[in-house]
Amino acid sequence: MNDLLVMVEVNGRSAALRAADVHSVIEADRIFPVPRAPRHVVGLTAMRSQSLTVIDARIALGAEAPEEPGERAVVVEVDGHSYALLVDRVNDVAEALSDPVPIAGGCGVHWDHVAYGMVETSHGPSLVIDPKKLIAGPERLAA
Amino acid sequence: MDDLLADFVAETREMLEAVEGELVAWEADPTDRGRLDAIFRFVHTVKGNCGFFDFPQLERLSHAAESALADVRAGRRIADRALVSAILAIIDRITVLANAIEAGEPLDDSGEALLIASLDADAMDTSIQPVAPGTDVNLANAIASAATPRSVRLPVELLDRVMSGVSDMVLARNDLAHRLREAGNAPALDGPFERLSTILTDMREAVTRMRMQRIEQLYHALPRLVRDLSAELNKQVVVDFEGANVELDREMIDMIRDPITHLIRNAIDHGIELPAQRLAKGKRETGLLSITSRQSGNTIIMTIADDGAGLNYDRIGAKAVAVGLVTQLELDAMTPAHIANLIFEPGLSTADHVTGVSGRGVGMDVVRSNIEKLGGRITVATAAGEGTRFNLELPLTLSIISALTVSISGQHFAIPHSFVEEIAHGRSASVAFAQIGDSDLVTFRGKRVACLTLHSVLDVDPRRAGPDQRLVLIRLGGGGIFALAVDHIHDQEDLVIKPLSPQIMAAGCYAGTTLLDNGRPILMLDIPAIAERYGLHANTVRRGMADEIDQVPAAPDASRALITFTDFDGRQRALGLNLVARLDQVGCDAFDVDGDRVQIVIDDMIFDVAAQLPTPLPQGQIKVLRLSDGTSEIAYPVAELGETITYDGQITPLKDATGIEGVALIGGNPVPILDGFVLFANQRSSRRKPNGLICALPHNDEWAARILRPLIEAAGYQIAESPATEADITLQLAESAELGTAPDHCIILHADPDHEPLGPNHVYRYDRAAILGALDAATRRKAS
Repeated sequence: MNDLLVMVEVNGRSAALRAADVHSVIEADRIFPVPRAPRHVVGLTAMRSQSLTVIDARIALGAEAPEEPGERAVVVEVDGHSYALLVDRVNDVAEALSDPVPIAGGCGVHWDHVAYGMVETSHGPSLVIDPKKLIAGPERLAA
Repeated sequence: MDDLLADFVAETREMLEAVEGELVAWEADPTDRGRLDAIFRFVHTVKGNCGFFDFPQLERLSHAAESALADVRAGRRIADRALVSAILAIIDRITVLANAIEAGEPLDDSGEALLIASLDADAMDTSIQPVAPGTDVNLANAIASAATPRSVRLPVELLDRVMSGVSDMVLARNDLAHRLREAGNAPALDGPFERLSTILTDMREAVTRMRMQRIEQLYHALPRLVRDLSAELNKQVVVDFEGANVELDREMIDMIRDPITHLIRNAIDHGIELPAQRLAKGKRETGLLSITSRQSGNTIIMTIADDGAGLNYDRIGAKAVAVGLVTQLELDAMTPAHIANLIFEPGLSTADHVTGVSGRGVGMDVVRSNIEKLGGRITVATAAGEGTRFNLELPLTLSIISALTVSISGQHFAIPHSFVEEIAHGRSASVAFAQIGDSDLVTFRGKRVACLTLHSVLDVDPRRAGPDQRLVLIRLGGGGIFALAVDHIHDQEDLVIKPLSPQIMAAGCYAGTTLLDNGRPILMLDIPAIAERYGLHANTVRRGMADEIDQVPAAPDASRALITFTDFDGRQRALGLNLVARLDQVGCDAFDVDGDRVQIVIDDMIFDVAAQLPTPLPQGQIKVLRLSDGTSEIAYPVAELGETITYDGQITPLKDATGIEGVALIGGNPVPILDGFVLFANQRSSRRKPNGLICALPHNDEWAARILRPLIEAAGYQIAESPATEADITLQLAESAELGTAPDHCIILHADPDHEPLGPNHVYRYDRAAILGALDAATRRKAS
């Protein structure tokens, strides 16, 4: 299985999204807050004539409050809605050299929750994230 | 091949919808050859189409139905009830099969033999007749008659893509406009840019229209529903439709189907009585269900009326007290109209027994909340023994919602206009704040209502309401009012609302999102959900009641909502806001000037122009007020729009000014208020001094309130505020008056200028001179 992966960095860790899941990568410069939304939903942003729900992947993965504003966001579509996932950094596109495999002993409760599994890439091992679970957020985990 | 198949399914379904109504009409009158032919053509076309595909079941079914109908056509067989039912069953089965084909499911042939046999059940001759020669001609006819006027079928996604493309272009245009302004004067670019703008506006409108469908689509299925229900309940009901050509958003038609079906079920189950009961009450044994739709500005008004038993106030009231919705004390103080509207409250179902037809766990509260979700409203009016009428007000399209934009702490939100009753400044003299415990109340023109601050509702810098804020008075579906305090009120805009992601829905206060023209995302507030969270729905009833109590002793509200504007002669003028149906912007080429006659084309409709226009006409876009008297509309172009205000000061009448109702003092300046009657009647006359006589006007009539009242008042008469007041002169509309028996003190107003000459007190309602003459004559008779 030679999936293309979009390599990102979240909370200082390397992670990956399947390129097939990713619509585009945008600069999330103007985010309009949504009062009373869950904590990991940081607001709305506009991409062309569409409004996107902005999810802070770092909060969804357990960070309290990210110290630096993520400057780039990965746009994904889940159940007909478009989301911008804020990450520390978007690095590169790489080829998956293996199928995702579960990690023995897990990799932390938040990461276990959102990951398909670990894959080998030319940039070293990385966790492949399921955007749908990431978007559901940490609250879902507690429930 | 797949495309062909999809076309086949779509065509079959389209014909099915059209043929449903025909079937029921045919059953009512089996000798109706036209209906029979239409149904025959349908099964024939289905059979013909099946030949191209391999659907043996469909072919067998349609063949059997065709043969039976052919017999009827040839006079070999009589169309009896059993046959009609058998044909209906086969058509139902064809629907099921068509759905299965579309979904790619395997077709089972359960019950087919039985269905086919039922066709022959009482026909002795079971042999299937060979298809007569001339089939090809019939087929050609069938296709020709089934074809809709030149049209193409498009997937909704494609429409949405075009729509979002056009929205993108609008954003790009706005960006370009901004840059052009920054770059300074560039006359060479202005012309082409203006043109681009106009084209874009046209395109946007056309794209919006692409989503529209005639409400006929909804009507088609209803005769069948009514037939089946009345048969099941042993009632006799005829259904009458009006306004089939009203256009509505496709998706809206789908979404109102369930609520409408529910209302019809209710009307037949609980409203219309059994034939024997009807006869006993002196009614015709067949009940009448009438469904009408009409467009009024940006709203579609649908009514579903039956001539059944009406709602039982006592039962509704008793039930409401029993389930704790209101106390007995509150109930006693409520008007019948309020009691009737209690049926929309959750937990109230007056059906003592649940029948198979209604009472399937879907209550009127669900109907109301579904209608409100679409940005609509529903109310009920009833008269014991005479019937019940449900009024639905629906926005014209689902995707475009007229909304008010407001902001708090720099964040913008939209409020659907359908909820907005009025807006006011917190510092206005007619507003007073009070704090009771932790909640805020505001007294606005004598009514005390709950006041929420949007800050606290959204947890953004929570605060108490105060005079530094603006108030938006929100009217809920149940009739209750509360105030929402915000920092600023910005604009009224038509917004293209898109659904929200579930993560944002989870916040529980938003109903949708959109991008403003400046590219900024904005959230639309979910007003019913917010009201629910603060328990204001439950309060609705009590508030409504309190209003009534307050109003009874109080003098009629003296304040008026006005809209100010600047005319082309540079003067500021004002008009009663209740006359303004909507605001439009049109290009100068929409005007048709021919000497004194000026007309204007808006949305493919021609309007008379009531204002003086400069010559030559100004270039570019012109703002137009569309004025309505409830039945007709005229256009009033203005140079600049001002603001809408609530004016509670004195309106000073002018002695000799024609066309001016009076002068108001707005912001320290005298502003003439135009006389709506003169605008509509286009006739001139002068005002008169008060003469102390009281006139009763048609009650609850828009035309009377908007147009007639100012005329009568201007003529110096006092208006009876309630039907109970004893009046010296009574004005009645011809359609509601008993013709020929008008007593001396009655004046009958006719909508038709060529009405029969029934006497001196019968006048055309826009014949100002005749109305005043008749008033004079009545006054003289009174005096003598």
